[in-house]
Amino acid sequence: MNDTTQPTKGDAVKKILALILGLCLIVPVISIAGCVGGGNSQPSNNEKPSTIIIRTTGATFPKYQIQKWIEDYQKTHPNVKIEYEGGGSGYGQEAFAKGLTDIGRTDPPVKESMWKKFLSTGDQPLQFPEIVGAVVVTYNIPEIGDKTLKLSRDVLADIFLGKIEYWDDERIKKINPEIADKLPHEKIIVVHRSDASGTTAIFTTYLSLISKEWAEKVGAGKTVNWPTDNIGRGVAGKGNPGVVAIVKSTPYTVAYTELSYAIEQKLPVAALENKNGKFVKPTDETIKAAVSAVKASIPNPTEGYKEDLKQMLDAPGDNAYPIVAFTHLLVWENKNGKHYSPEKAKAIKDFLTWVLTEGQKPEHLAPGYVGLPEDVAKIGLNAVNMIKE
Amino acid sequence: MKTMEIKKLLRKIDEFKIITLPAIFVVFILFVLILGFYFFNALPAIERYGIDLFITNVWKAAEEPAKEVYGLAAPIWGSIYTATIAVLIALPLSICYAIFVNDYAPKRLKYPLIVISDIMAGLPTIIYGIWGAFILVPLLRDHIMKFLYEHFSFIPLFDYPPLSGYCYLSAGILLGIMVTPFAAAIIREAYAMIPSVYKEGLVALGATRYETTKVLIKYIRPAIISGLILAFGRALGETVAVSLVIGNSFNLTYKLFAPGYTISSLIANQFGNAVLYEYMTSVLYSAGLVLFVIGLVVNIIGIYYLKRWREHVSH
Repeated sequence: MNDTTQPTKGDAVKKILALILGLCLIVPVISIAGCVGGGNSQPSNNEKPSTIIIRTTGATFPKYQIQKWIEDYQKTHPNVKIEYEGGGSGYGQEAFAKGLTDIGRTDPPVKESMWKKFLSTGDQPLQFPEIVGAVVVTYNIPEIGDKTLKLSRDVLADIFLGKIEYWDDERIKKINPEIADKLPHEKIIVVHRSDASGTTAIFTTYLSLISKEWAEKVGAGKTVNWPTDNIGRGVAGKGNPGVVAIVKSTPYTVAYTELSYAIEQKLPVAALENKNGKFVKPTDETIKAAVSAVKASIPNPTEGYKEDLKQMLDAPGDNAYPIVAFTHLLVWENKNGKHYSPEKAKAIKDFLTWVLTEGQKPEHLAPGYVGLPEDVAKIGLNAVNMIKE
Repeated sequence: MKTMEIKKLLRKIDEFKIITLPAIFVVFILFVLILGFYFFNALPAIERYGIDLFITNVWKAAEEPAKEVYGLAAPIWGSIYTATIAVLIALPLSICYAIFVNDYAPKRLKYPLIVISDIMAGLPTIIYGIWGAFILVPLLRDHIMKFLYEHFSFIPLFDYPPLSGYCYLSAGILLGIMVTPFAAAIIREAYAMIPSVYKEGLVALGATRYETTKVLIKYIRPAIISGLILAFGRALGETVAVSLVIGNSFNLTYKLFAPGYTISSLIANQFGNAVLYEYMTSVLYSAGLVLFVIGLVVNIIGIYYLKRWREHVSH
């Protein structure tokens, strides 16, 4: 009995082993710590300029254009890395206000209430157009494939109001005699954005211009209460890519999206009736016709909230596409270095200067976008030059 | 003598208990802070819209505060409805799985099945979401929904045309697939915990295999109920996967093929841009609060049932 209470040789051996094991664990840790310390103390001999990262967040409307600019610019400026982030115009404004991104992107101009939030940071926000794009109506009707569907103003509004229920409605047939017999007796599914979207703001503003009923019942905004949601024929997708994905996978859908997405995804695009009663498809020619038909009135970059979204919409002219809009960039003046480091401010200025000059030339434009008029680009250049390094 | 008394007193104190006490405080304080945070942020919306915030279906976002109107009825209903569908789907699947694994699977197959089930329960849900959006929805729409609509549309549940496939049923089925492994794990363990003497006794009495299983399932009924309640809570809170397949439409209906919204997908879609609107952020916090309360109640009930059953079976 007494023997069991005595420590045995086995116990002693275990203790020794435990001690050795502990030492084996501790020594490498100390060694590693020493190496790390030594490494940090050495001065860096790297003479190459460090990579500068610029982030741009917001509207998905100019996605393909931004990505092309980034790709082209970085070929000649490898030390600048520009990151594209989506999220929609609403998120772009929010991220910009909170300092989460360097360059905000928004399709419709910032509203005054939001502009005041920007100003409350103690810095001066600057807004200017970057490119011209178009909102298109796209559809997925297997029976007609990629043949062009014409939509008059009242038909377009009534489709999105939910008043035209089937694709073979008499009013659609009447303006599309060549494909009337192929239009199926299927319910129209309306696809719209689920996020706060500049594309939505542009499209709903246009619908408000051409339809009194839409203006009264629904109105315009980055998010609206879609009539088709309430009758169950509405589906929402996140971002332009989300909308496009639903259209591609779902027959008998109709949706609005930015032109470049339709081009990229090879979706059919409707011919819309313009102010002069002509049915036009969105092409470089028809978008330029719309741009040249309207004298753009762009306010001083420091007063971006004064810009009117409606000015480019429903442009006059036989060949003018009716839903054309500027999409905008937001940057800070960087008072007292509030938002950007000197290196970053310099890089941003250089990139945006390139965008507003070289970037507007045909070889740097993505399909579906049109360069800014020269006087508009100058306004942007003035804004860029205001940025303090 | 005083020294001895002090020593006795110190000996009575459990040092380990004292060391672990802060963890309890931290957890409790975090819980209270989270709840307080949600309530504080939700208050402006509740003050402005009152009970209508929870019982009407409106989503009029306007950048002029006077025109803003919100009602969360559709998302709240959508969350509860899709979670209910999910549980109804998970119920037969998880029970059958538990029975098979415990009673019929050969030894070499049993443990791989258990491992696979547990891995599925732990998979990131975005994987289910993407698969659901691109594979499951078209499949369901073209082969199940259209069939049901064509042949059973006299039943109100099925009389909504399956236009896009992104709808309550798709979301419910996807959630059902997601929560089945979770519920199956609980039910399987409960089934395995049944003392073997019960099974042996039943067989000794001449019961068939079916009869034996039937009695045993009844025996663990509380565990099944609690497993499904916990699965319901889990389905209720699912976010990204559901927002990809439910259609994101403010649509208040019980019809299975109609697109809808859940609280989680509403927050996922709208929170990123809520700052543009005076009251939207607060409304979304209110939605989160609703989810919090429902989830809390459901989980407490589930845990209570499970605990009571375990006490019953252990004696």
